[in-house]
Amino acid sequence: MNQIDLRALAGGDKRTWDAFVIAAAPLINAVVRRTLGPYRLSEEDVMDAAQDVFVRLCAQDFRLLKTYDPARAGLPTWLSVVSRSCAIDHLRRRRQATEPIDDVPEAALGVEDRHVEKLKIPAGLLTARQTLVLSYLYDEERDVTEVAKLLSVDAQTIRSTHHKALLRLRAYFREDEPSGGG
Amino acid sequence: MTIERTPRSDKELWRSLASRPAVVPAAVSEMDLAAWLEGRLSEEAAAPVEAAVAADPGLRRAAFDLADILGKPLPAAPERMVVRARALVGFEAARTAPAGGLLGRWLKGGRLFAGQGYALQQGLMAVAALVVATGGFVVGGGLSESLAQQREGYARTETASTMTATTSNEVSEFFAGDGI
Repeated sequence: MNQIDLRALAGGDKRTWDAFVIAAAPLINAVVRRTLGPYRLSEEDVMDAAQDVFVRLCAQDFRLLKTYDPARAGLPTWLSVVSRSCAIDHLRRRRQATEPIDDVPEAALGVEDRHVEKLKIPAGLLTARQTLVLSYLYDEERDVTEVAKLLSVDAQTIRSTHHKALLRLRAYFREDEPSGGG
Repeated sequence: MTIERTPRSDKELWRSLASRPAVVPAAVSEMDLAAWLEGRLSEEAAAPVEAAVAADPGLRRAAFDLADILGKPLPAAPERMVVRARALVGFEAARTAPAGGLLGRWLKGGRLFAGQGYALQQGLMAVAALVVATGGFVVGGGLSESLAQQREGYARTETASTMTATTSNEVSEFFAGDGI
């Protein structure tokens, strides 16, 4: 996909567009299916959502495509993010207020228990990276190696980030460290 | 007597806290998120993206999903998806390329009037209709010839009428000469 002539593509060249579609369709197809998968939509919905991605790319004289900057990210990565956004937009339009509750995945129904008053973490106590690592480890229950791979760092860096974050939290909330660790 | 509190595990501590920030992080652009996924952002530039991802469970899962999809070979897309997408760009785009005049554009399959607007299209259609009508009229004889024919016909009628009057006078004189 990186072989696509972006200038010709954004200029509306038919041959370049056709080549782009052939190259990008598997990725768009995969992202749309993964995004809509939990919602058990029909094949027609998947097709329509994928078509929405292509429409959005070429709409208004390829306005969105012209915002892509190859110096900042690879085309497949950017396209995957765009595809996910389109699929979510499609889902929002598609879903109706009368949708049977059995059709809604549990994750979508999950709400925070607001009856329990939680202590707030003051702004600036943790860095964004520390908050993200703790969220992945404890909210998403991801493995250290998975998080390390996602953030393009080694596992030891994640462990260190985790450890420093917990030290700060325990110090602020005057919590003792458990003898066995987290 | 002192009460000894059992230290909470890291997970319990984290879950007892409201990890969501009081101020919702600013929305992240698709370009920024893509750059972050590829690890191309500096620590400073990555911070707002990571704050947004940490605060949004959907984005947290999306980051893993996209990284997973990008890291492995993908199955081919359905043919119908490709056909529909390819049809989105066709003559509409071809018309924007310089193609050496209206005829050139038409030969390349572009829409002749694209970009000039509906008014121009209507004007040219009216001119074309006028040319066709005029051509038809000329082939059929034209106005001047028609008038000439009318004039000629009128003249013939006039001549015939004069001749009839002359003949009539001669007959009258013949009968008058015979005393009738």
